[in-house]
Order: sequence, then structure tokens, then C-alpha cells
Amino acid sequence: MNFDINTIVYILEILVGGLLVGIGVHFVPVGGAPAAMAQATGIGTGTVQLAAGSGLTGLLAAGFMMSVTDNLWLILASGAVGAGIMMGSTMLTGSWIYAYAVGAPFASAKVNYDPITGFSQPPYVAPGTVGQGIPTICFVSGLIGGMMGGLGGAMIYYPLYLINGNAALSAMFAIGIFLVNAVIASWNIQGTIEGFHDPKFKKWPFAFRACAIASILLALAAVLITGGA
Amino acid sequence: MDAFSMGLIAAMGALATVAGASEDIESDVGSQSNPNSQVQLAAQVGNPHRIYNKAISGEPPANALWAATAAMVAYTLITAFQMPALFALVAGASVAALFNGVFSMSAYFGRNSSQRRFNQWVYLDIVRYTTPSIMAHAWITSFCIATISYIMVYMLPIPHPFPMPIIALIWGLAVGAIGSSVGDIHYGGEREFQNRQFGCGLNTMLSGQIVRKAEAGLRNSIDNAWFCTKFGGPATGMGFGLTVFLDNWRTTVFDPVTQASLAIAMGIFFIIVMVVYNLYIEKSARRKYGPYPEYKGDIAA
Repeated sequence: MNFDINTIVYILEILVGGLLVGIGVHFVPVGGAPAAMAQATGIGTGTVQLAAGSGLTGLLAAGFMMSVTDNLWLILASGAVGAGIMMGSTMLTGSWIYAYAVGAPFASAKVNYDPITGFSQPPYVAPGTVGQGIPTICFVSGLIGGMMGGLGGAMIYYPLYLINGNAALSAMFAIGIFLVNAVIASWNIQGTIEGFHDPKFKKWPFAFRACAIASILLALAAVLITGGA
Repeated sequence: MDAFSMGLIAAMGALATVAGASEDIESDVGSQSNPNSQVQLAAQVGNPHRIYNKAISGEPPANALWAATAAMVAYTLITAFQMPALFALVAGASVAALFNGVFSMSAYFGRNSSQRRFNQWVYLDIVRYTTPSIMAHAWITSFCIATISYIMVYMLPIPHPFPMPIIALIWGLAVGAIGSSVGDIHYGGEREFQNRQFGCGLNTMLSGQIVRKAEAGLRNSIDNAWFCTKFGGPATGMGFGLTVFLDNWRTTVFDPVTQASLAIAMGIFFIIVMVVYNLYIEKSARRKYGPYPEYKGDIAA
């Protein structure tokens, strides 16, 4: 292959995509196993799992859009919206369970008042827990995170497809690069976070640096593979 | 948009709803994912139990494996052996279910025998009559997802560029993520801990104190599936069905070649509606349930 200015642009695009995934994971409100027992605020699953579920749904939407158009902005927006729909419907149906099956009001233990709605939080935190459910601030934060993940996935897929012209190969590589960045970010937040209002969110520069290094290495490997399948 | 592709989108939504429900019930019968941490802990805090215990991995990778296996077998049979699609999809799902059975049984034997020092037994009758139920639910999930992938690749007017196994892998990841985010709360937050006060999350002091007695006799995982089928499973199905249906609906109603920006605007509209609906649920839960009476702080409710 020829290593020209286009290759550098492709590497930069993959780098930006990886960084978007890494930072986006910090926005997703996941409470891990405690949240599955309504013991902590957020969605009751693992960070990487939810980020991967939504971001890769965005990748499906972006891949579909890329098969009919080559307009970068439409592809990116399609990826973000696809991921946002998946994240939104997941959190919405999760809210049904918290509200109608567990029967608990939504509350965050990290802030006294919800920054968006202004609702007071501590009186609604059940004794012996650190909050439960998905308050509006977490919902909005989760949507931002999911959409950043979808945007990042599309941003990784786009240059790979331009290089090798093989949708399957590009998708597999995009999934791989996506997961590496999501796992790095997950280590940074130690598995659980409530969203951008959580004090842990301030640690994002560490993940930014780590994801940048990982994405550069992965991008160098990815642009060298020019297909053949 | 034509009536045929709209019908296909509706069928995909229906298949996704069934896949979501069966995925969640599969993880409840087998006790997988996050709530299984309490099942695992129960024996260690002195509560040996008769609940199936198979945390093979997180739900998304596990379901991605079943769905991708089913789609890969079906794809091979369709392309290399020219088999009819329906038979190929059935055969693929059966192979995935066999994989699931092997993983489930080895996980059950491994996990329970490693807890021998806590007096946890390996119950062969549990293995005999719970494993087929787990496999059956995994069959339904992988069949539905492989069929969705088949429709997306071979039947829609604008076929998806990804091959069938990769689409199934991604939908498998998504259904696992939704199942572990939605349905597992019903199993972990409600069914495992019916011995605590209703209307709050699990107090940390009660960790591991899962309910071990049923309406008659000792509780097992089939009882848990019966309970979770009432709400957790259908809610998961709704979550996954909404994801698949809304995501494909907007690119079918609006032609992605000429009306792409309308399709994207429609997606943003759906997202805004979801935010408003969640706000409504939050408000109504606060109004109906009120603050906890034990709260002693200064902040007014």
C-alpha cells in the first residue's frame, strides 16, 4: 500500500473515533451488579457491555447508511442516532422495572439535587443503598454517552471501509477497536459511574491519554490491512 | 416504502420482541449475569440453595456467541449446500442450543463443586430438568436473531452490507446488553429478595440472603422463570423490539438515498420522546411512593 497523506487522515479518523468511544463510556450510567439489585443508581449491567451493545447498534446503522451514500456527516449522524435509540429504549424499559416491579423512586446518591430537573435526591434514597433507578440526569448522560459511542464506531468504520472496501472486515476491525477503548475507559471508572455529574467523571483525562495510545497503535495496524477477503 | 418491506420490518420487530423475552428468561432460568453474584454469594454466607448457577460470561458476549453460531451455520448451509432458509435457520439455532447446553452444564458443575466447602451440593435432578429449559430458550433467541439477520441481508429492498454472522453477532451483543440491563433487575431486585420490605432496593446488609423456599417445597430456577415471565421478560422484549423496529422503521419509511436527513431527524425525535417518557415515570414514581420515612437529613423532599 502507499503511505500518503490520505493514510494519515485515516489514522487520525480512527484515533478520533477511539477517543469518542473512550470518553463516551464515561457518560453511560452503569451501576454494575449492585444496580441489578436496585442497590445503586444507574443501569444494572457492565460498562463495556452496554457501551458495546449501543455503539455497535450504531455501527449497524452507519454501515447501512454507508452502503447507500458516501456523505460522511450522514453516516456519522446515522451511527449516533442508531446508538441513541438502543440506549434510550434500554434505559426506558429499565425504568419500567424500577418503577413498577421493584417499586422504588429514582434517586442519585452523588448529588443533592438533580442538575436538570432540580428534584431533591437524598430523601428518595432507600436506606442501606446508594440510590436506585435512572433519574433524568443519568438518562440524558447515558444518551450522550451512547451517541458518542455510535459516533465513534461510525468514525472508525468509515476510513476502514475506504481503505479495504470490505464491509465485513471493516466491521470486525471496528468492533475490535471499539471494545479495546471501551475496556480501557471501564478500568478508569472502576466499573461503575452515574454520568457526567459523578465525581469519577473528572478522571477522564487519564482514559483520554490511554485510549489515544491504544487507538494510534490499533490504527497503524488497521490501515495496513487492505483486504484480500 | 412499500407494503412488503414494511411487513418485513414489522416481522423483525416481532421476532426481536420474542428474542428479547426468551433471552431474559434464559438468563433467569440459568441464573446468569449480575443477579447471579447473589446466588454465588448465598452459599458462602451459609445459604446453600437449589438454584441453577451458570455465569458462563456476561450476557452480551454469551448471546453474541449463540446468535453468531446460529447465523454462521445457517449461512453456510444456505450458501454452500443450497438448503431452504427456514431449515438452515432451524439447524443453526439447534447447533447454538447444543453449545449453550455444554457451557451451561460445565458452568453448573464447576461452580457448585467449587463451593463444596460451603456445603453447596451438585443436584443432578436440577441439571436434568433445568438444562433443557435453558437450551430451549437459547434456541428461541438464536433462531429469532438469525432470522432477523437473514431478513436484513437477503430480503429487505436495500440489503445490509454486513454478512449475516456479523449482524447476528451485533444483535446478540445488543440483546444481551438489554437483557442484562432490563430483565435482570426484575430477577435480582425483586424475585431473589422477596423477604425484604417492598419498595426499596436491596439493603447491603441482606446481601446473599436470597429466598430459598418456594410456595411448595424448595425454590428452584424454574420457579424463578415463572415469576420473571410476568414482567421482566416482556419488558426486555419491548426494549429489544423497540431498538430493532424503530431503528429499521425510520430507514424504511424514509428512503435512505434521498431522505437520509429525515430518517436521522426521526431518530432524534424518538430519542426526545423517550427522555420525556422517562421524566414522566420518574415524576409519577416520586409522587406515588414518596420519600423514605427513615430519612433524617435537611433536604426537603
